[in-house]
Amino acid sequence: MIDLGVSLYSYGGDYLVTMTLEDCLADVADVGAEGIEILADTHIAGYPSPTTAWVDDWHELVGRHHLTPTCYSSWLDTRLRKDRTLTVDEAVPLLVRDLELAHRLGFTILRPKLGVVSLDLIPDPVWRETVERALPKAEEYGIRIAPEIHAPTPLESTIVEDYLDLARQTEHFGLLIDTGIFQNAERGRMHSDSRFVFGNPDPELAARVAREMSKPMNEDPALLADLLPYVFHVHAKFWDMTDDLDDPHLPYDAIVKVLVEGGWSGSLSSEYEGPRDLYLASDMVRRQQAMLRRLVAEHAAVAS
Amino acid sequence: MLEAHVIQTKGFKNVDGGFQVAVRCPYYRGIWASLLEGARLTVDGETFGSDAIVWTLGGRSYAADELAESVDDRWAFEEPALLTVDKPGGLAPGLHEVEVAITWRWSYIPVEMQPTTNISNRKLVLVS
Repeated sequence: MIDLGVSLYSYGGDYLVTMTLEDCLADVADVGAEGIEILADTHIAGYPSPTTAWVDDWHELVGRHHLTPTCYSSWLDTRLRKDRTLTVDEAVPLLVRDLELAHRLGFTILRPKLGVVSLDLIPDPVWRETVERALPKAEEYGIRIAPEIHAPTPLESTIVEDYLDLARQTEHFGLLIDTGIFQNAERGRMHSDSRFVFGNPDPELAARVAREMSKPMNEDPALLADLLPYVFHVHAKFWDMTDDLDDPHLPYDAIVKVLVEGGWSGSLSSEYEGPRDLYLASDMVRRQQAMLRRLVAEHAAVAS
Repeated sequence: MLEAHVIQTKGFKNVDGGFQVAVRCPYYRGIWASLLEGARLTVDGETFGSDAIVWTLGGRSYAADELAESVDDRWAFEEPALLTVDKPGGLAPGLHEVEVAITWRWSYIPVEMQPTTNISNRKLVLVS
């Protein structure tokens, strides 16, 4: 069964400006979504040590709005120290700490965003032993660990192969797919009242990386079919939605078709990453949820 | 609640021996203190470098080089940092052009593109 969910990342511009945590959860419930995904470092006040009162509040809010916690998105900051990257011995307690907090909050999937060691985003090699040593905790808590496959990483890549090698050995490790890899149309630049400068690279490298990060990857959604047994969660990425409730950048018809025909079970979690104008995210989430709901129903009807 | 802008109007004031500016985390998540590589603050064309800025995170104060050692402390997403600068007599009441540059490391961006700096500009009123 595919359930529809929303990542609170979607409300990035509004969160704590026009919307409280409760407002966001109420908004998700109002569009009829069930799954709720959070960013641990953003949405848990006092992270990584929220008060008992905060945790109690979380459970009360989730219950009142009939939501189900799905994915707890966290980070493994391998560059936490300036002079060197983390050792496995240092990384394990950080991952275990997130597993414990995810469990306290009722989540069943944990996405560790891993530090990288190359321009093509090869994860820091400590990831494998770190995850293996944290697996007993994940099993104890019934949490599945799923690093994210995100543009510009292709489905057919060393990165995915390396993850699958571990995923074939344990049911508690698999993949999170960000549908941005299926982007098939150019998108505009984001506007913001502050600007980011990444490092001090030569202008040519900066331009090349910027192009790489936003260009359509045009991955074929059909490539997902064989991976589905290892896919625990899907970020339904989007940057815009048209008035006729279609996505101008992503082939959602083909993506949902693969998921439905493959009998995939999991949460399709809206992840809006478009302009952060206030009061926009809620409308965008609503538009995308309407599209996803229509596509899931259409393909389910064909499949049955 | 927070203002949408990185630079907050609330919190801009003179303090004993200088002034301070409140800045919300410019990232979409909170930042571990040790990931912060410093800040640069410019007011009406006068620039204060990293070594001149004292950070207050969650009620605790840090010099720039103390941040690097603080692997367990955080700049919480929900709580603006206070940047305090020594300036005898403080700033004159009125409108000021303020620019804040915050530099920190992202672990999941290639090291060739690091560290990351966020630069924000805003006109702020100092009441007194």
